[in-house]
Amino acid sequence: MTKKFWIGLVIFFIIATLGVFYQKHVKYPHCDYDGSPVPPIYEVEIILKDGAIKRFCSIYCAVQWFKNNKHNVDHVIVTDEIRGNKIDSYMAYFVESELITNETNDNCIHVFQQRESAQIHMDKFNGRVVDDPFELDE
Amino acid sequence: MILNIYTIIMLFIAIVSLSLGGFLLSLTLKAIITFNTFVPLESKTKYEQKGYLIFLLGCVVIFIRMLAWPWFYFMLQSFVPEVPGAMCIFGVTRIMPSTVTFLQIIKPVSFFFMGGWIFCYYVDKAHPTSPLTRKILLFLLPICTLLFIDSGTDIYYILFMKPLVSVSCCATFFDVPLRPSAMIPQAIFGKNFDTALFFLYYFINIVLVIFLFLTLSNKWKSLLHLSDKILLYIQSGIGLINIPVVVLSFMEVIAPKLMQLPFHHCLYCFIGNGIVPDAPLMLGLFIIGTFSIGWIGILRYICKNSAAKQVTDIFVKRVNSLSVFCLLTSLIMVTIHLVLT
Repeated sequence: MTKKFWIGLVIFFIIATLGVFYQKHVKYPHCDYDGSPVPPIYEVEIILKDGAIKRFCSIYCAVQWFKNNKHNVDHVIVTDEIRGNKIDSYMAYFVESELITNETNDNCIHVFQQRESAQIHMDKFNGRVVDDPFELDE
Repeated sequence: MILNIYTIIMLFIAIVSLSLGGFLLSLTLKAIITFNTFVPLESKTKYEQKGYLIFLLGCVVIFIRMLAWPWFYFMLQSFVPEVPGAMCIFGVTRIMPSTVTFLQIIKPVSFFFMGGWIFCYYVDKAHPTSPLTRKILLFLLPICTLLFIDSGTDIYYILFMKPLVSVSCCATFFDVPLRPSAMIPQAIFGKNFDTALFFLYYFINIVLVIFLFLTLSNKWKSLLHLSDKILLYIQSGIGLINIPVVVLSFMEVIAPKLMQLPFHHCLYCFIGNGIVPDAPLMLGLFIIGTFSIGWIGILRYICKNSAAKQVTDIFVKRVNSLSVFCLLTSLIMVTIHLVLT
């Protein structure tokens, strides 16, 4: 094996490590409630009245923060677990099931854009539909 | 037609390669018809100049066409915001689906044969008497045909591609329970196929890398007691089996894990959405690594019974090293992501 071969391998090793670093620390933000990295599939964004955005790693964290800051919130964007689409919380289907999304806080509320996806999840993980936890007062 | 910088460049590439390709084809045909192994000394310079022009033109056109393959996906990615309902390249491929499917097949095929031609040309160039000139000229004919079909379809697609046509999202195709990428391995490995598929991915890739690695060293090769031909057949066989295994493993296991979207199996989202920034590199390295095995086959076939055996062996070793490097690097990159993500 030539020197070039090993140098090339090291370069790609570094590229892959940087890719992971970017994915974990640059592309994905940290939760504004518990500071853990926000997985894109479970991301919740709370948009405040002044336009600022708060990001959370799970419905649990977002709800905890939301309870204390309801008066500042304009609207809430949640992520469809199937496709990763960002949707307004009032359009989403929330399902509480036996499947835990976050081992740290035992969050078991799941978000779906389509009723069909929610039904499949409920059948599979013994779940039930719950109300939008981010309902704002009129 | 969607007009943006990507389509303009793609159109430019297609028109340039069509026009240069036409000129190249006429020169090649003339050169083949008038080809003579023994050229009188007085016309030798003229003959050499003509040959030099053909091969230079061939290299330029082929290089441009090879670049058109990755550029095609950049162009499709740029169409995503213009197509209602499209979340990734998959949505764009739903408009004129047969043309896009054809382009997605013809482009890797062209890339493969054009890459093979480039290596043969370099073998011929490295030999002082250029013993492969006639074969390389003949090889240019099917390549010109591929080039015309590829460029022509590119132009047709760009000109007739209709934006603002509503399409379905990739989830309706890739994430349904009866998706082909799940049904095929399920039929072979049973319901919990993902673990078996994942191990098979590593097993086949490691075996392939070991085989390619062994052929690099004469010492190890002599221990195997296998001729070069048999070794090439074994490598090609494993390489061919590896293609569906890698594609299915990426769709079913690797891409969802790396994207952190456990229920999403779309490879277009994996390479195009920037969730995994080095995903195109992983797949690109795998493609080059696999194609390199085929390029060794082309080199062996074109250069057999010629005076350039020594030069061919040197180039075969280089391409072999390229294959080992690309496959190993792709495997390492996937592993790093799986471990660290």
